[in-house]
Amino acid sequence: MSKLGIVSYGTYIPKYRISIEEIAKVWDDDPNEIISQLQVSSKSVLGPDEDVATMSVEAARNTISRWKGNPQDIGAIYVGSESHPYAVKPSATIVAAAIDAEKELTAADLEFACKAGTAGMQMCFGLVKSEMIKFGLAIGSDDSQAKPRDPLEYTAGAGSAAFLIGKERVVAELEGTYSITTDTPDFWRREGAVFPSHGNRFTGQPAYFQHIVDASKGLMEKLGTKPSDYNHVTFHQPNTKFPLTVAKMLGFTTDQIDISLICKNIGNAYSASSMLGLAHILNNSNPGDRIFMTSYGSGAGSDAFSFLITDDIEALKSYPLTVEHYINNKEEINYGKYSRFKGILR
Amino acid sequence: MEPPKIWRERREKYLALGILCQECKKKSFPITQYCPHCSSKNITELKLAQTGKILHFTRVSQTAEELMFYAPYIISLVELDDGIKVTGQITDIKLEELSEGTKVRMVFRVLSKNGEEGLIGYGFKFVPI
Amino acid sequence: MSKREVYVIGYGITKFGEHYELNPSFSASQALSKAIQDAKISKDLIQSLYFGSLVSNRNGQSYIGGEASRECNLNIPITKIDVGNASGAGAFHQAFLAIKSGLDCIAVLGTEKLSDFVNSSTLEKILGGTIDYQWEFEQGATLTSLYAWMTQAHMKEFNTTMEQLASVPVKNHKNGVNNPIAQFRREISLKRFLDAKRISDPIGRFDPATHCDGSAAVVIASKEFVESHTEIERKVKVVGSAQSSDKIALHHRENLSSLLATQIASKKAYEMAQISSKDISIAEVHDSYPIGEILAIEDLGFFQKGDGGGATIDGKTQLNSDISVNTSGGLKARGDPFGATGIAQIIEIVQQMRKEADERQVDDIKYGLTQNVMGTGASVLVNILSNMEDDK
Repeated sequence: MSKLGIVSYGTYIPKYRISIEEIAKVWDDDPNEIISQLQVSSKSVLGPDEDVATMSVEAARNTISRWKGNPQDIGAIYVGSESHPYAVKPSATIVAAAIDAEKELTAADLEFACKAGTAGMQMCFGLVKSEMIKFGLAIGSDDSQAKPRDPLEYTAGAGSAAFLIGKERVVAELEGTYSITTDTPDFWRREGAVFPSHGNRFTGQPAYFQHIVDASKGLMEKLGTKPSDYNHVTFHQPNTKFPLTVAKMLGFTTDQIDISLICKNIGNAYSASSMLGLAHILNNSNPGDRIFMTSYGSGAGSDAFSFLITDDIEALKSYPLTVEHYINNKEEINYGKYSRFKGILR
Repeated sequence: MEPPKIWRERREKYLALGILCQECKKKSFPITQYCPHCSSKNITELKLAQTGKILHFTRVSQTAEELMFYAPYIISLVELDDGIKVTGQITDIKLEELSEGTKVRMVFRVLSKNGEEGLIGYGFKFVPI
Repeated sequence: MSKREVYVIGYGITKFGEHYELNPSFSASQALSKAIQDAKISKDLIQSLYFGSLVSNRNGQSYIGGEASRECNLNIPITKIDVGNASGAGAFHQAFLAIKSGLDCIAVLGTEKLSDFVNSSTLEKILGGTIDYQWEFEQGATLTSLYAWMTQAHMKEFNTTMEQLASVPVKNHKNGVNNPIAQFRREISLKRFLDAKRISDPIGRFDPATHCDGSAAVVIASKEFVESHTEIERKVKVVGSAQSSDKIALHHRENLSSLLATQIASKKAYEMAQISSKDISIAEVHDSYPIGEILAIEDLGFFQKGDGGGATIDGKTQLNSDISVNTSGGLKARGDPFGATGIAQIIEIVQQMRKEADERQVDDIKYGLTQNVMGTGASVLVNILSNMEDDK
């Protein structure tokens, strides 16, 4: 039986950064207190000519170029995001056209706060496994919005990650996936509202922590694995403190989670957050490594995954446009320019 | 931009396509029905090189309404590695950081927006490598 | 081409500038009726009206030619000629061909009402139609930015300097002081041009010609018509009229430091007139940007390729030098109401030949030339007028 898993991956992080200090200055907050609380020093900001569709296309193109396969073989494209450029009209169709994957395929935009991207991965695994499609492309992409002065403003970043799911030249074999879903109103944005609202501390324990712990434990129980069986782990990263805390709660060490922690530099990339962590891990993994990932989406739910790295990973690691490349390719902007780019200044 | 135009032009704007003439073997951009060099209709679609170098560049600050949000921006004459020349913006960079010969890579960006409610025009721009 | 000879027998022109108070058709009918009066003929003798305008019929503006002819009470064929912002010269060329083909008397009108476009983005978009709309304009290029590339190319290839470039509008503003219809009748110093902010480097804030309102009209007629109508007092012969085109997009051209269409059109016009560039005493050329005039005086053959900048700064194109270029002040000082510009250029030559140019009068003119450019040179029109009574 052929393996099912990740065939290729690609990411995109915009060039612009705003530092926590710069935002704190505007609101007369103490930057040191915030930095130590969140363990984030800056966040990524989308350029004025970018949106979720353009970031998704860049991540998708990096996935295809790294893979060197034929985009016409892709049978499904899902773009998970809570900041699609259109309320009605899919981002996924734009991606399909821009990677030359039109037109024999199924596609949809997904929304489940920060886990819509991993939901797309699960859908692709299902479609590939059932042999309804040969390859599926799952993208998590967000240009997260935060009301000025809301604590979210310090971390709401932007980024995109794409995974090509298939059965040929698999680089990360799927060992299992498991989800938890409850109706938990920790974070929301009403139709037509510009900025999201949230339940402050309520977003922590009953929401983020409970769902990730339940999903992670559930998958390990199902697979008969334990934290020490894994080389690397990635969780959703609303800040750096939360994933570190939940890792500890589950029994993972700091060494296991360390590589995944991109939030320090780019903030919370929402739908792309845990997926960017996974892509970064893949690029730093070796054949035989075991990888664990659990996403979290407010509302609320978690998708947990277990992967086994194959020998084919080596061929993909030399592709130049890595998470590391994008993290280092940066330009700091001030709050004025940030407001302009974000469209807060009108 | 109107829906039929966006729809009709999506492949050439998103993918940056030209043609390769099967008669005279010359490449050209954009897609035309006849080879502009020898007028042959025996042509095939060609994906342009994704990298190139800057021949000319300058700043644009006054432009069409649907591009004003992005102004001032940099517009450049780029010679792609396959020899084809195209006009495109250089994004994510300051004018002072560019020079003739700067190597660039094609990216996918928003070109124009029709107000708050209209369609978004996407296409290719360049970033320095 | 037929041997029928063509003459300009009358002209009319309005003051160029921002005429917020004037309805578009007002200035058009003013220019048209002035031209007919100047020709001293009965208006009923005019067989057809050709008019050139870039924005007429766009953005809700009226069919200006039609409005003007109603105001002048004419029930003749009216045809709009579209060669973008060179529509004035385009209309003149078509009228010239019509006389050659057998018509006897035609009015040509160039008109534009641009001061209504208070949002300059609207005009940028209209001008976007004169360059490659899809692959230049929609990609973000504007007419100004493309002229910036052409300027860069010329500077690089021929070491043309910023001072040489700025000496073009300095000269033209000096000439414009003495042109009563010019929008700007004041001198501007070289320093002011050089110190101005770069809007599209190397093009500075004050370098482009301004877009304004204005109308210009001429009446042209065949030799037979002129001879049989003794009321016609003054006539200037049109000895050459030619048009040529080039690839619209700069990315499709071999080089950016010359305008192929100018070279071809002028060659055709010189051949038709049986003269060479050496015979030209005055020229009205398309100086919408400083590089425009430098390209023109080289591509028309007045100077060697690459010598245009040096020639200008050395005063070789100033009033009453070997070749007096843009004695009217050019597009720069006169203002550029697109469709009217091509006709205004012809009127300047006619005025010079009729010795009506007062302080800007050039002595001993044999031949005068006009060059009108669409966009970045996708289409160029060249006309040659003669002052020689019994020339070949």
